[in-house]
Amino acid sequence: MRIEVMPERCIGSGNCVDVAPRYFDQSDLDGVVEVLESDVATADEPAVAEAADICPVAAILLGVSSPAAG
Amino acid sequence: MTSSDTSPAWPFERDNPLDPPPIFAERRGTCPISKVSTWNGDQAWLLTRYRDIRTVLTAPGISSDLTLEGFPEPSATVAAARGGQKNFARMDPPVHDEHRRMLAPDFTVHHVAELRDYMSDLVDDLLDGMAKQGGPVDLIEMLAQPVPSSVICRILDLPTERSDFFQDRVRTWMSLDNPPEVAQAANRDILDYFSAVVRERTARPGDDLISRMITGHVNTGKLTAAELLHMLQLLLVGGFDTTANMIALGTLTLLQHPDQLARLKADPGLSNSAVEELLRYLSVAHQVAFRLAQGDIDLGSQCIHAGEGVIAPIAAANRDPEVFAEPDTLDITRDARRHVAFGFGLHQCLGQPLARLELQVVFSKIFVRFPGLRLAVDADELLFRNSIIYGIAELPVTW
Repeated sequence: MRIEVMPERCIGSGNCVDVAPRYFDQSDLDGVVEVLESDVATADEPAVAEAADICPVAAILLGVSSPAAG
Repeated sequence: MTSSDTSPAWPFERDNPLDPPPIFAERRGTCPISKVSTWNGDQAWLLTRYRDIRTVLTAPGISSDLTLEGFPEPSATVAAARGGQKNFARMDPPVHDEHRRMLAPDFTVHHVAELRDYMSDLVDDLLDGMAKQGGPVDLIEMLAQPVPSSVICRILDLPTERSDFFQDRVRTWMSLDNPPEVAQAANRDILDYFSAVVRERTARPGDDLISRMITGHVNTGKLTAAELLHMLQLLLVGGFDTTANMIALGTLTLLQHPDQLARLKADPGLSNSAVEELLRYLSVAHQVAFRLAQGDIDLGSQCIHAGEGVIAPIAAANRDPEVFAEPDTLDITRDARRHVAFGFGLHQCLGQPLARLELQVVFSKIFVRFPGLRLAVDADELLFRNSIIYGIAELPVTW
């Protein structure tokens, strides 16, 4: 699983940081999402999927990891 | 489409004070997207399913701007109260996003977490105060209100001795039982108060949120002083009654579900998941999520057309059995994190990390400190408040 975000949509709800803090942070300037790690470890996929699901503005997109990234 | 004479009128009565009006479940089972009347005879769509409510609240062109023709309102008093609001909760993009992002850095998860020790000490002190006074006490006066009001006063650097003034004006503004002009007057008092604060901090800025908004955004021309006043009003009304009522009603709900309370007492580590479940179960923001469609929204079986009003009650979404098994059962161990108690879409509560932390601190401590906490009156004697945020007038408890 690979994370992509659309920061222009983000309203800084912080839900993603709350449920998957290893992968998401928020900018100190405007609270907008920052991705800490794009490639998601298998064990963390449920938490990251939850972050994407509960994002109130659908700013988190989940794709398939490139083979090189494992 | 139902004709205006036969469609039921918003707001709907509750049968049980801790459950949403039964019409949500009835409609969800028979006609999940249907028309209802509002106070002035207008028609609006009532949504009852989690998925429809999320779809509408995230639809492009769904508007929160109540100055638009046809915007639905729950009552004359709410229309008047909200009519006095000129903040980003009542704005659409792009201005909404610009304004919200000015405040967002102060409400990020990490920034809010810095307040954890302060909140922990605050709650300990308040619980000490209860113990010192001895039961019975009013939990609202001794704990539920002081927690959020102290936190907001700290963030905005306002004198806590003015808490009573803020509480009174916020409650008057929120109440649905007051005439419209009384709600408007309370709002004017809040704006006048902030006006004086802004004048003083423009002259002598400090390190608080208000001063930083002045130096970073008003002085640089990105925000007008009037816009700042309305933003501060939103922080005050958003931060006071919401969390206070969650503390009071959450405590009451646990007391009325002894099996769930026993689980929490046995494992205080369940307090975070208990908070999410209480947020879901209670959905205290029961009069929000009124919107106007500015473009067509396809909900599958029904299309919402441009120009039509929509009511998307979070309490209906949060009791949808398609998403939450046995939704009317309180289960503090369930994963309730998908609830929409803070709303959904771009207007979802800005202060939710703050509210969450306040509630987590309270519910991790209150039953540890007072394992024998119980109601000091008969539950039938409790008076529930008819307000924009659902609440209770007094909660007498003892231990």
